[in-house]
Amino acid sequence: MFKKLIEESTGKSPWLFHINAGSCNGCDIELVAVLTPRYDAERLGFKLAGSPRQADIVVVTGPITAQSLPRVLRTIEQVPEPRCIVTMGSCPQSGNVFRGSYSICGPLSKYVHVDVDVAGCTPKPEAVIDGLALATKILQQKRREMK
Amino acid sequence: MSFLSYQHFPIFTIMLYFLGAFLIVVFGKAKALRHAVAFLCTAGPLALLISLIGRVMVHGEIISYWMGNRTPVGDYAIGIALEVDALSLFFGLLVATAVFVACLYSFRYMERDHNVPQYYTLYLMLAGGVMGLVLSGDLFNMFIMVEILTFAAVALTAFRNKVTGALEAAFKYLVVGSIGSTCILAGTIILYAQARTLNLAQLAAVIPGNFGVSTKLAFALLFIGFCTKAFIVPFHPLAADAHGAAPASVSVLISGVLTKSGIYGIIRLVFFLFQTMNLGTMQFWLVFLGSVSMFVCVTMALAQHDFKRLLAFHSISQIGYVLTAVGLATGLGISAGLYHAMNHTLFKGLLFLAAGAVLHETGTTDLGKLGGLAKKMPHTAALFLIGAASISGIPPFNGFASKWLIYQATYQKAAETGNIGFALVTVIALVTSTLTLASFVKVTQSVFFGQMPEECKNAKEVPFGMRFAMGILALLCILTGLFPGLVTRYLTEPAAKAAFAAGNYINAMMGQGYAERIMGAAAPGAPAVSFASSGVWSPLSWLLLLMIALLAICVVALSGKYDKVSVRSSKEVEKKYQLFYGGETQSFSQVGGGDLFWGFKHNWRHYFSFMHDLHSGIVNDYSLWAVVALALAIVYALIVL
Amino acid sequence: MLLVLNALKYLAYILIFPGFLFSFLVGMLLTGIDRKIVARMQKRVGPPILQPFYDFFKLLGKETIVPDAANRRVFLLAPLVGLAGITVLQLFIPVFHFHVFDNVADVIVILYLLLIPALAEILGAAASGSPYAGVGLSREMVTILAVELPLLLVLLAVAKTVGSAMGRGLVFSLSTIVGYQELHGSLITKLSMIPAAVAFLLIIPGETGSHPFDTAEAETEICEGMMAEYSGAPLGVYKLTHAMKIFTVVSLFVALFLGGIGAGIQNLVAAIGLSGAFAGALSLLLQILVLVLLSIVLTIVCISFVHAITARLRIEQVFKYYWTIVTCFALVSLVMAWYGL
Repeated sequence: MFKKLIEESTGKSPWLFHINAGSCNGCDIELVAVLTPRYDAERLGFKLAGSPRQADIVVVTGPITAQSLPRVLRTIEQVPEPRCIVTMGSCPQSGNVFRGSYSICGPLSKYVHVDVDVAGCTPKPEAVIDGLALATKILQQKRREMK
Repeated sequence: MSFLSYQHFPIFTIMLYFLGAFLIVVFGKAKALRHAVAFLCTAGPLALLISLIGRVMVHGEIISYWMGNRTPVGDYAIGIALEVDALSLFFGLLVATAVFVACLYSFRYMERDHNVPQYYTLYLMLAGGVMGLVLSGDLFNMFIMVEILTFAAVALTAFRNKVTGALEAAFKYLVVGSIGSTCILAGTIILYAQARTLNLAQLAAVIPGNFGVSTKLAFALLFIGFCTKAFIVPFHPLAADAHGAAPASVSVLISGVLTKSGIYGIIRLVFFLFQTMNLGTMQFWLVFLGSVSMFVCVTMALAQHDFKRLLAFHSISQIGYVLTAVGLATGLGISAGLYHAMNHTLFKGLLFLAAGAVLHETGTTDLGKLGGLAKKMPHTAALFLIGAASISGIPPFNGFASKWLIYQATYQKAAETGNIGFALVTVIALVTSTLTLASFVKVTQSVFFGQMPEECKNAKEVPFGMRFAMGILALLCILTGLFPGLVTRYLTEPAAKAAFAAGNYINAMMGQGYAERIMGAAAPGAPAVSFASSGVWSPLSWLLLLMIALLAICVVALSGKYDKVSVRSSKEVEKKYQLFYGGETQSFSQVGGGDLFWGFKHNWRHYFSFMHDLHSGIVNDYSLWAVVALALAIVYALIVL
Repeated sequence: MLLVLNALKYLAYILIFPGFLFSFLVGMLLTGIDRKIVARMQKRVGPPILQPFYDFFKLLGKETIVPDAANRRVFLLAPLVGLAGITVLQLFIPVFHFHVFDNVADVIVILYLLLIPALAEILGAAASGSPYAGVGLSREMVTILAVELPLLLVLLAVAKTVGSAMGRGLVFSLSTIVGYQELHGSLITKLSMIPAAVAFLLIIPGETGSHPFDTAEAETEICEGMMAEYSGAPLGVYKLTHAMKIFTVVSLFVALFLGGIGAGIQNLVAAIGLSGAFAGALSLLLQILVLVLLSIVLTIVCISFVHAITARLRIEQVFKYYWTIVTCFALVSLVMAWYGL
């Protein structure tokens, strides 16, 4: 009934859910910085959701420690379709300085399909917004393919 | 008078219950026979009373009946009399309905108990006691019936004597209940000494001319006696204990029927026997007691952790509404109070039966040990929700209709008398209603929804017989909520009118013109009673609108096809369908929701700790409360009235 | 034929104006303006004003997951009942002179009907089985408890004031209250009603569950509380219900305290020299316009400003605030109304 409208809207109201998988907190602060007056991601419709059930985009920070892996995967599973997974910072992509540690299970792409990687330690807010905007495009694409 | 004439119906009604009690003692060993007798002896009185509605409610006839046809000789009523006016019939109908439904329920519910024949005997004794009290036209008979019902109720409370606390509860009830009965007896004796008659109608005619100190004393004694039966505030802990221990079907009787006998007694006292008393001060007394009962008991209920104890406190809280509304002494007030009394019988019965169903399946009523039962017992859950919505006063169920009338009545009274205190009563009534809602949200969340503990995994839906009994009450809850106009016109307003027509009551019993002869100019006629309220509420049109809106929304929702609902199909556990616990599995969850109303209780913590200390659970303390209440009532009666 | 036409007319009332579509649009608009204003007050650009519409339609397109622990029927039906409840409630609140169903519910009933959406939400939350929802629903219940007392006092004060002014004891009917104001000026111009109006303005954020009284759905501490397990279309319906509730509560304020404006509009139309059906339509249109404008102003004042300058309260602070400060305002008004000040 509202197919066109829904597709259009999917690209305009992406809600984020943020998972910290053992991050040093640097990326977490930057993600919050994106929502502050200076960068104001809310003008693009971004909003932090409190529960994975309400999220469209999952932002994962940190090198995926062994302790956090099952929790991260479970939480990602609980996000309804269509969903996008964004890794933020170098840690979830390569392990960064923690690479080779016995307690690190990364990269995340070994376990789930990652849509967007935002590299950097930490990535600049501009880069994060760019990555999230890209994720939004992918999200819209996924909605279009969803039947 | 032919044998089957309607004048005999009241005595048949009472006799059927006692006859049933006797027959079950004799033939009760066979299950089928026992059930047949119990069914006939509870359905019969209901049918008899329903057949009287047309005459008594619609045409305003008052049925007077002298046992053995011993009519008064020389203005002295020696014989035993029954007198059924609209008020008696109204309460009689409530009693018969509750007794009938709870009896249907107990057929399956009591299966697993021992000594079931004795249960039915006591059950029918209790029913007969209340019915006798309500239909009696004689003060001493009322006392006898009070004794019968008190002892039957005590025995039934202790019926499951293996349950912890059952004997203790019965003992407490016995002690304080006896104090109440003694008060009634003492009051009766004093009145007899003064008026030399026990007939209610004659007393009502004679007392106003001889209003003295001893009459006031008698009033205080009788009043406290009936308060004990209704569990009005200083007597409320008894009810909690008794309901906690008794079988659910007995709880229905204790809350829906026994408390009504107390209310009935109070109405008879205030509006008939002592009708020339200073009503203004009496109003304050009744409204004050009612408001205190309302508020104290609902807060006590918030602090409970046991399903049935919680319901018990709510029961008294709702009785507080009835007493408040009756105490207003306006047409609208009494009509609203009686309406609420009826609704109280229906929804409270339903809730106690639902609690009984939960107990039947899980073996516990501890709120902490229950949860998620809506999946196992969907029908019981739905019926419980109807009851909960009714008692919390959610439109369009019946509790709302009567509570709304009570708000109107109290505020209207405030406007008429210019006394802002009655506006305060309106506020207390509404806050109590919201607190009731809060309390039932807690019950719903912790019994029927929420997480299911291991112990409840084996629960299943209760047998059809039990659901059927609950269904009747639920249906009545909905119907009386949807058609408040019919209920007030055919049931509560005639009864409220009867409450003001003491003169008619006296004349019907003692012969035409008696009231005028004895009382002279003071004889009360049948005053024009106004039931006008300034509010507007038509539940049927609201429901219709809601249904149309809901239907339209559903049509849009279904035709849109965007609503992809995912439900787990296979047996294996998928992460996707687990609850969100911050990523953890359920077993590691650290989220606690123990005290649901912390926000409220924290602000009232001093009050709650005070109440906690006050309710020591020691029978000596409760007896002391009873004695203090009696002393206060006597002092109030002697000084103010 | 007449019956069919009548049925269609009432259906239009329910679905289009003043029922579903109208309050849907205005409610969403109010939410959008609220978000924009809050952003501007924080020196942000803020989302577009149409953002709530985007959110709503996006949610329609998402998957709806029903958790294992949930009771499926209640979980899915509760949001729809809440939406239907608020739609029907909107029908009983007059748009100045225009009222459709004035013989169904009075103000005391409206007080209770305001509960229905919240209760539906509570029931749905309970049915989801989530412990976060359990915490959320208990907080919601305490918030209801907190708000109900001052709201009742305000309504009683209004009923008494209008009643004694009209010499009828008490007036509970909303259309009569509005009718009185059209003849004698808005109630807010009466001295005794000013504290009540202030109390009502303070109630608006609590009743609509917005900042700082949104303890029930604190997304950062209890994961959206009652809506923790909701996703997709049901969640969208809840968001919609919230948006519509803002409009309902605000227009209730307008009806209770600013009802006299309707007469001004009618006089204005008459003064231009118009009459007949066209004038009626024009005046209705103007009334709707004024109502929407007033709603926007009230939303900005009561919800957005408060949102931007406060942090979230704890639940027992919410309770205390409403039962002390706001209740005092309402009580002062009641006493003044009672003694004819």
